[in-house]
Amino acid sequence: MATEKFIIPIGPQHPALKEPGHFEFDVDGEVVTAASVRLGYVHRGIEKGAETRNFVQAEYLVERICGICSHVHATAFCLGVEKLAGVEAPPRAQAIRQIVAELERIHSHMLWIGVAAHEAGFDTLFMYSWRDRETVMNLLEGITGNRVNYSANVLGGVKCDIGPEQIDAILAGLEFLEERTRHYLDVVSNDALFLRRTRGIGVMTRDEAERLGVVGPTARASGVPRDIRIDAPYLLYKEFPVELIVEEAGDLEARFKVRVRELFESYRVIRALLANLPEGDLTTRIPRRIKPAETISRIEAPRGELFYFIKSNGTDMAERVKVRTPTLPNMASVVVTAVGHQLADMPMILAGIDPCFSCNDRMTVVRRNGERQSWTWEQLRQYGIEWYR
Amino acid sequence: MSTITALIALLFFPGGLVILLAGMAYEWADRKLVARFQNRIGPRWFQPLADNLKLLAKEEVIPQGVHRGLFVALPVIALSGALTAVLYVPVFGLAPSFSFAGDLIVTIYLLSLLTMCTGLAGANTLNRFSLVGATRTLTQMFSYEAPFLLALLGPALAAGSWQISEIAAYAEDHWLVLAQPIGFIVALIGLMGKLELPPFDAPEAETEIVAGPLTEYSGRGLALFHLGKGVELIVGLTLVSALYLGGVANPIAFFVKTLLLLVVLAGLQSLLARLRIDQTVGLWWRYGAILGLVQFLVLIAWEGLVA
Amino acid sequence: MKLMTMWRDALHGLTKKPVTQRYPFVRQEAPDRLRGHLVWNRETCTGCGLCAKDCPAEAIEVITLDKKAKRFVFRYHVDRCTFCAQCVESCRQNCISMLSDRWELAAVDKEAFLVHYGDEADVQAALAGEPDSGAPAAE
Repeated sequence: MATEKFIIPIGPQHPALKEPGHFEFDVDGEVVTAASVRLGYVHRGIEKGAETRNFVQAEYLVERICGICSHVHATAFCLGVEKLAGVEAPPRAQAIRQIVAELERIHSHMLWIGVAAHEAGFDTLFMYSWRDRETVMNLLEGITGNRVNYSANVLGGVKCDIGPEQIDAILAGLEFLEERTRHYLDVVSNDALFLRRTRGIGVMTRDEAERLGVVGPTARASGVPRDIRIDAPYLLYKEFPVELIVEEAGDLEARFKVRVRELFESYRVIRALLANLPEGDLTTRIPRRIKPAETISRIEAPRGELFYFIKSNGTDMAERVKVRTPTLPNMASVVVTAVGHQLADMPMILAGIDPCFSCNDRMTVVRRNGERQSWTWEQLRQYGIEWYR
Repeated sequence: MSTITALIALLFFPGGLVILLAGMAYEWADRKLVARFQNRIGPRWFQPLADNLKLLAKEEVIPQGVHRGLFVALPVIALSGALTAVLYVPVFGLAPSFSFAGDLIVTIYLLSLLTMCTGLAGANTLNRFSLVGATRTLTQMFSYEAPFLLALLGPALAAGSWQISEIAAYAEDHWLVLAQPIGFIVALIGLMGKLELPPFDAPEAETEIVAGPLTEYSGRGLALFHLGKGVELIVGLTLVSALYLGGVANPIAFFVKTLLLLVVLAGLQSLLARLRIDQTVGLWWRYGAILGLVQFLVLIAWEGLVA
Repeated sequence: MKLMTMWRDALHGLTKKPVTQRYPFVRQEAPDRLRGHLVWNRETCTGCGLCAKDCPAEAIEVITLDKKAKRFVFRYHVDRCTFCAQCVESCRQNCISMLSDRWELAAVDKEAFLVHYGDEADVQAALAGEPDSGAPAAE
């Protein structure tokens, strides 16, 4: 019996997606039978751009890979370049970097709660969580001077100091946010209708999660105990550690709970840092020309493990900057967990991994005549040159 | 009724122009209330009017592959169904313009006409989002229609008549919300299903299927559907308040009761997440139908005992 | 399992003032550190050009008319600037600062986006020295 395939395309333009990406779901009635994904709509050539700019300029370029996780990109880059140059930022700078990173995590998770609630049709939670997110944005604006793309880092340290005024503002803001977060944890865990949309949906077992290589809160919601801040501490995470937040269920409800509980950890770490802020300089000298070497730096972005590979060649420009963002491994899990669910669950499952398509589009795998081919860097460059000839 | 008065009732008051404007006013009130529940400002008073005027002024794009006649005719039929239903309910606290025995069924049918037109409109196009939306609309209609009807028949049974004006007159002396609380709850939730308000807005789930059955509509067609929805809102609110909340004897009672009901609807809208279509159907066929039947049986038993 | 867990928020929403800002009729106070429009102080500039070199968006040009006499013109492309404040950091003499009250920078024509800082005569000289710059000077 021949069955016609009924394909529902979601994207590149769709109200469920905040950024362009293309998903195709084969549906039978309302049940999804197969799924496939195509990315690359926001490829901007940032890695190439970083090769023609000096390290100072490249830091800002790399920061603008993503709006929500901009600070971690800049921090990863700065840590990598500082490692290459053999300098270490002073402790006060590291503390400030960590504070801004945790504030960014708070802002990102609150944004995600709102977006995921909106995908479920629960607009009230969306509006209230975004209203409370304004508190964090204003705090960040007070410290760094901008609500998004904070540009707090410079190579060798930070630009902005945290004085007593900012400390008071941060502590007051955190108090308000903690109370609201407790309320959101209650809503997410107990609201009957919301649970009907999240409990048991998009289940990913621990084995599946480890096989697919998912990272971040998505993995921790399936019981995988992986967190770069604990496994490979950077900045001041050794002295001011975070606790590992893990849930076992692996469904959407677990992903909500992991992220909300991580918020409490962020509040605690920021308070500890503010109480024990080290004195000292904000920056340290770093040479313009970095001697040839390679290094990697790994950071826990709000979405998972952010991985940078930087190679220098003795000049003041990078030889190669390679970025692997957390959304890339998590995207594969969407395709796997979507099968068998209803069409109405698709936006929620997609939102469950906290996708950041802007972070994502970095590599290209080209299909020719139905076969898949991976190109090396030289092949890609040659193709580009010939295309424009 | 003489022809002139009939025409005025149809085209101007209380049908036609005035009810269209009133529909837009109630839509604004609903949006403003939901916004206030969410701690935001909400639209200004002329927003729905501006939306509809803008839509009427825009070009209507007829996509490829649709049946042209059906595409253009369906919004008109939907709106006319809603407008005709106005003539039988006591809007604005005045006696219905036309009234005959059995007009309760006719009114409910005319309201369903609007939903069916929406479903057909979605099925008419080649767009997959519309097809999924059309399926959901019709599925939802099949699920809430029976309990909603049962809930509205409760007052009819108590009043001993199928005529809305007579039921409303009976309800003025007996507050049926106290006598038939279960029926009232089923009627209220059924009204939310009929109007496709959250949590029952799966047919037009913006984040899943763009705009549901109305995805391909633009310009005049979309404006007519929106106007029809506004009119449906008023008719539904009037029906439930007239039958359950003690009739709508005069304009003041009308506005107070329907707006009170609207506040409750807006509150429920903002506090409940959207249900999936299978969950909606499950909810209705399990709890809605049972509650409706229970209420009905209680009534019949009561009538049997009393009579 | 509770139903309608956000009812308290909804009730509060009815009674409290809405949080929507009625911009542009009401403007929020910008914090002191807000990175707005750039300003250049020519008193201490040595013409090293690090600001122009380090700008990720190539929004700054330092035109040297006479290095010994310290006559420089600072050309700033507002439309290219990303407001990252790297120039503020790079300048060792603290010539550059960012205004926290000038951040509404939308304009109807491109002329507002090309800003020259410096002595009037110097700016005219710099503009005269360039063949096709029709942009007006600003202080």
